[in-house]
Amino acid sequence: ADWRGWNIHVEDYPVSHGMEQFMAEVSEKTEGRIAGKVYHAGVLGSQPDAIEQVRLGIINFGVFSLGPMGQAVPEANVVSLPFIFKSVDQMYRLMDGDAGAAIDAGLQKKGIVALGWYDAGARSFYNSRQPINTPADVEGLKVRVMNNDLFVGMIESLGGNATPMAFAEVYQSLKTGVVDGAENNPPSYESTNHYEVAKYYSISEHLIIPECLCMSKKTFDSLSEEDQAIVLAAGKASAELERQLWGEREKKSMETVLAGGTQVNQIADKAPFQAAMAPVYDKFLAENPDLTDLVNLIRNAD
Amino acid sequence: MSHSTGAVARALNALSNLCLLASSCSLVLLVVVFGWLVFGRYVLNVTPTWVEQLSLLLVGYITFVGSATVVHEDSHLGVTLFRDMLGSPGREIATALADFILAGFGLVMAFACIDLMQFGWSTKLPMLNVPESLRTLPAFLCGAFTFVFAGARGGRQILLLLSSSDTHENRSL
Amino acid sequence: MGLAILLGIFSGCLFLGVPVAFAMGIAAASAFFYEGFPLLITFQRTISGISVFSLLAIPFFVFAGEIMLHGGIAARLVRFASTLVGHARGGLASVNIFSSMLFGGISGSAVADISALGSLLIPVMKEKGYSGDYAVNVTVTSSIAGIVIPPSHNMIIFAVAAGGGISISKLFLAGVVPGILMCVCLAIAAYAVAIKRKYPAEPFPGWRAVVVAGAAAIPGLITAVIIVGGVLSGIFTVTESGAFGAIYALLLTVFAYRSLSWRAFVTAVTSAVRTTSMVMILIGFASAFAYLLALYQVPTLLTNLLVTISDNPIIILLMINVMLLMLGMIMDMAALILICTPIFLPIAREIGMDPIQFGIMMLVNLGLGLCTPPVGSCLFVGCAVGKVKIEQALKTIWPFYLALLMALLLVTYVPAISLTLPALFD
Ligand code: NA
Ligand code: NA
Repeated sequence: ADWRGWNIHVEDYPVSHGMEQFMAEVSEKTEGRIAGKVYHAGVLGSQPDAIEQVRLGIINFGVFSLGPMGQAVPEANVVSLPFIFKSVDQMYRLMDGDAGAAIDAGLQKKGIVALGWYDAGARSFYNSRQPINTPADVEGLKVRVMNNDLFVGMIESLGGNATPMAFAEVYQSLKTGVVDGAENNPPSYESTNHYEVAKYYSISEHLIIPECLCMSKKTFDSLSEEDQAIVLAAGKASAELERQLWGEREKKSMETVLAGGTQVNQIADKAPFQAAMAPVYDKFLAENPDLTDLVNLIRNAD
Repeated sequence: MSHSTGAVARALNALSNLCLLASSCSLVLLVVVFGWLVFGRYVLNVTPTWVEQLSLLLVGYITFVGSATVVHEDSHLGVTLFRDMLGSPGREIATALADFILAGFGLVMAFACIDLMQFGWSTKLPMLNVPESLRTLPAFLCGAFTFVFAGARGGRQILLLLSSSDTHENRSL
Repeated sequence: MGLAILLGIFSGCLFLGVPVAFAMGIAAASAFFYEGFPLLITFQRTISGISVFSLLAIPFFVFAGEIMLHGGIAARLVRFASTLVGHARGGLASVNIFSSMLFGGISGSAVADISALGSLLIPVMKEKGYSGDYAVNVTVTSSIAGIVIPPSHNMIIFAVAAGGGISISKLFLAGVVPGILMCVCLAIAAYAVAIKRKYPAEPFPGWRAVVVAGAAAIPGLITAVIIVGGVLSGIFTVTESGAFGAIYALLLTVFAYRSLSWRAFVTAVTSAVRTTSMVMILIGFASAFAYLLALYQVPTLLTNLLVTISDNPIIILLMINVMLLMLGMIMDMAALILICTPIFLPIAREIGMDPIQFGIMMLVNLGLGLCTPPVGSCLFVGCAVGKVKIEQALKTIWPFYLALLMALLLVTYVPAISLTLPALFD
């Protein structure tokens, strides 16, 4: 079999190395019965398209953010609830355990098998006005968010002005004040040069959205039990590599932005932010009552 | 031209004009909602969050439905130079063949888009909360209308070719 | 084999005269079918190929251009140019070129430029004793400069085809000098021919007339200032600038100039819809086609091939230009931008060319194709508007081709022409 792998990132990126290692390990352990190629830099299309193509078995595997997957798989949307994870370590623990299994079950209903959970960091707020310490600091701030009701709801609940905007336009908009701020993880904040125009990075870690090394269920079901075990093990191993590389990358980015004069502050008390999210959670659970158990499982974990 | 073909031609023109009307309204609506976005963002200081996604949806309707009209009017960008070098009736046959290929592709497009619409029914477009299938609908319409317009033109071309072939031969020989 | 099917069916359909957009769709669907992919993937790629945010600027630019054309803004610009530069020898040719700079700068569409300016200027030029072929040649070739002078929707198509990561405002800035350079080269050619044929000069109408014509034209010119200024200053995004420009042109022609009738409005809207859908469906099907080119790794194959022929950047660029010129003879611009950018841009990067400069070079090159037979929509429209036979126009067009080729060579081999202005604004 000749597998096709989809990846949005450039070749030298933690996710990309993880995927390459996955493919190499599968080829090696199956003694060449399975070969394949990872297509980096999104040459096989946009993420929403690629998700559909994995469901159809046209693309055999790929690494997707659970954020956009939520449009097709409601269970995946749970991790897009702001402040649902308390830390990245807690996210690993829950995703490698029951929460991950529940989301995997949801994915499988749509023809996707999760092989491992990759780290995509924690997103925090940054802006050009002032450090954010309390929800009041967000009030009246124009914040760019991704196109998702939950993120718009999050900013609105904090009293800010949510502005969905194409990613490519954010730098210019920050520079000219069309928006005051945005939110992202440190590597993105650094690589997009947003730190040059929005000096205040406030570690809120409001969104910790993992990425999923996903395989088409069609492909997975066509494998022998022995090969399925190989694939699952390779998936887990590649996730470990990716998490380690991601950690290193994040550290380097933090150093770069600090050297560039960014003011980084840790938000001491996240409780008022979490409390402000009540309307977002209420609305989400009213629309998805069958996800209550999963939300509570994550929210109540320590 | 017989009575019935005249009626068919009128019906096709009416259908094409309907497509043009629909896509023109989409364009005007696009300008209006985007004007509202600019106004909201710079004057009211509140960005309407639904405009971006609605605009992308509207562009789909302008493109695909408008394209059906352009198929009917036979003014899509194309290279007719090679078939024009063929003499008669080769040129007419090539023209009809091109139309039939186009019509066949339109049919494939329509059916594939039906599949795609069913597939995307449970996926929601962000910010608008409508099924993703609404994004596929104009492509389905484009396929279906392309089938009708190009198929009818190809058919007429063949009819003309058949009916004129004997008189034409007599005259030219 | 899959690649052979893709390219074979594409050329077969082109040969029969199937529209380019659909020929790409049919070829892509056939290749997907051969590879055992479900057919719906063709249309999924097509639909998401047009659901790209930056492409929203295209309907706005096109709509703004149509409103200017049918709402009397273009006519005022021509009058202004004519009072300003009409008194040189062969002055109406300079008027023509200067108007293209002003108007093409706004509509961003060479064909719209020709039908607008050509129908205003060609009859006047003939009346004043210029021959028809000369009038058509000047109109047609100068409209090409409008493609490079911002705003230009072809620049947006290029930025999208390049896979993002290319700043549209930098492209806009990069086009200014090459656009002016093309106009200068053309003006020299036009002047030389005018001297040789002893064409007349217009009398200077006096500064008063210049001021009056300028005052009438300036509100219309502000449309361009809004679009380009909005983008360059970064106050507006490209899309917002396009929308704002379109709305401004609409309000201006309805309320200030009072020159846009309901009928003219309907004509403007429907013709904007036609142009938009033609361009956008091309972009959609090209995106399915490009997916397969990526899958078959065509760019890598071609890079390797070109690099084995020569590793001299000058030769490689010359080969790319010759290939583009040949393709430009038989196909139209937007389709070629979409097909050739993913193939040639990696090569250009490989030899150290800035993608922005490459984009401008490609636009100038393919622009030339718009006025060369056998497929040259600008030449055809120009001849139709000027009521001149194509053969007749072609006999005397060579000085203008030469001028454009000169500009193309300069843009290709002198990076500073394209890159100085964007660097200044950085
Ligand atoms: Na232009
Ligand atoms: Na040509």
